[in-house]
Amino acid sequence: MTDMPYQSHPARRLDATMERPGARRAVIAAALLFLGIFLFLPLVSVFFEALRQGVGHYVSSVLEPDALAAIRLTLTVAAIAVPLNMLFGIAASWAIAKFEFRGKSFLITLIDLPFSVSPVIAGLIYVLLFGAQGFLGPWLSAHGIEIVFALPGIVLATIFVTFPFVARELIPLMQEQGTDEEEAAISLGASGWQAFRRITLPNIRWGLLYGVLLCNARAMGEFGAVAVVSGKIRGITNTMPLHVEILYNEYNFAAAFAVASLLALLALLTLALKSFLEWRHGEHIAGAVRH
Amino acid sequence: MDVKVRNIRKEFKGQAALYDVSLDINSGELIALLGPSGSGKTTLLRLIAGLEFPNRGTIHFGGRDASFQSVQERHVGFVFQAYALFKHMTVFDNIAFGLTVRPRAERPSRAIIKNKVTELLELVQLSGLEKRYPGQLSGGQRQRVALARALAIDPTVLLLDEPFGALDAKVRKDLRRWLRELHDATHHTTVFVTHDQEEALELADRVVVMSNGKIEQVGTPLEVYDRPATPFVYGFLGSTNVLPVTVQNGQVFLDGFEIPLAVTKEPVSGPASIYIRAHDLEVTDNRQHAIPGVVKMVRHFSGQTRLEVRVPSSTHDISAEIPDDRHSGVRQLEVGHRVLLRPRQFGLFPREKQFEVDAQALNQGVHLSVVR
Repeated sequence: MTDMPYQSHPARRLDATMERPGARRAVIAAALLFLGIFLFLPLVSVFFEALRQGVGHYVSSVLEPDALAAIRLTLTVAAIAVPLNMLFGIAASWAIAKFEFRGKSFLITLIDLPFSVSPVIAGLIYVLLFGAQGFLGPWLSAHGIEIVFALPGIVLATIFVTFPFVARELIPLMQEQGTDEEEAAISLGASGWQAFRRITLPNIRWGLLYGVLLCNARAMGEFGAVAVVSGKIRGITNTMPLHVEILYNEYNFAAAFAVASLLALLALLTLALKSFLEWRHGEHIAGAVRH
Repeated sequence: MDVKVRNIRKEFKGQAALYDVSLDINSGELIALLGPSGSGKTTLLRLIAGLEFPNRGTIHFGGRDASFQSVQERHVGFVFQAYALFKHMTVFDNIAFGLTVRPRAERPSRAIIKNKVTELLELVQLSGLEKRYPGQLSGGQRQRVALARALAIDPTVLLLDEPFGALDAKVRKDLRRWLRELHDATHHTTVFVTHDQEEALELADRVVVMSNGKIEQVGTPLEVYDRPATPFVYGFLGSTNVLPVTVQNGQVFLDGFEIPLAVTKEPVSGPASIYIRAHDLEVTDNRQHAIPGVVKMVRHFSGQTRLEVRVPSSTHDISAEIPDDRHSGVRQLEVGHRVLLRPRQFGLFPREKQFEVDAQALNQGVHLSVVR
């Protein structure tokens, strides 16, 4: 509904407050300086350090087998965790926004849990549950199922940490949209699935994409939780952030920054897409103001 | 299709929204559910639609028990208060929706759907707007799209929830007339919910007056307006005087003094309330069956005289609206003049606990109608 005639951005009135131009410039300069030192400079230095020993070294650091394995693992984890969180997120927000049931507020609190728990603890939970000395460890090893220090553990930890992104984005959006359109659809003979696919999903698509984007950025960049469950086996259970840390600890700065620059690129891409979504479809994104 | 509602009870979280409601809706009829907010009218509409299910009682659609049928199975056309148009679809796709979601075997061909939608667009006078999105339409146009969308499935019953609630006064009047014409042309059995008595009385074949989860009266607009069956209906329709009186041996006392009204109907005794419509009062020279009073306020406007009359030795005022052509003398009335007011008709109801509650709602109703 971007072509609705009545939506226009309010004109920015810079002269609404009474500060003198000098004061205004000073405040802006302070903000820019701060952002420059703490955000922009580090970002630039990542690329600077990555390319310090030349493009050749950069390319070879990224294409080195362990780095490639880390990239592959990160993409695999994201490819599993993000769609699952998308499904869980839709289901949870659907339940919360459209139904009344006992324990609803508890569920809402639970969804926020990963935001309030330190990622390291999130990782530890899985080690304690599935690790060799863990609660389910003996049973799992008896059946030859590997979870901790393997792909499943990394995926689980990532899902835990990134769970709230989609749900948090969709719950307010769905609550605001109410159930009128769905009721209209089923009163016209649509099945529940048809109502979801043809009415609900189109109504939440931009918010969903926004949530998935943030979820993906976090899934690829997660360090703490994954560090605990992965075991950091080089070339096997190392994700990109872990690989960066290992290279750095080995004083292989150029290679560390080269891999880090890929993550930084991902962050920039996410930021660009996020800004685009907010600009183009802001009215369909509940979290546009919050994030 | 006729609809029979039998002894419906509906609770929300243990709170009853409808108590034992029964209603017969005849095929082809246009019925209004009229009542203040919280009267249960929308709940009744949603129960008929199958968007809610009753705790007790049954609903029959043309002889078939629909009590436990889903909204899809009942095949009703429901127009929502805020229209609930599909924002991301064009007008065409909105109207075609009910046809395109049918199972493949029952789904009409594209050409048939296109014909049907074109036909409906003509019917609701929106031809040429099929490519627009709901956001690009005015309130009245959205309303008509919602109606066309509901009509597209050839509904057994057409149900409208406050169909004119969100529109401004002028559009509301036009649409009201248009809906009546549409109904006369198509003869869909139609039930609509409204809190606006004018809308209900002007538009409907029969009016169902509801309050506090019960049906107060069902009748033609003339019946419910001229012969209100309960204190509530008296107070809700038109502007009404409510006087707390005591009845003894057929004599009516207001604050201890007799007011000479003829109580002929069922024997009422003890505390009671008298309900008199402001426009049911006439100024008379004959003392018989008339309430004496002193004029406290006079207003002459739009061909009628509005009087506030203090009943002597009481603290109660009576409002009267008298057309100037009915009694030429009223134009000469001034503050302080003595008058005799004779009600052409009035309601006398015993004042029980329950009516006390109703009387409160009544006072609000009277107040509102005076303001308007």
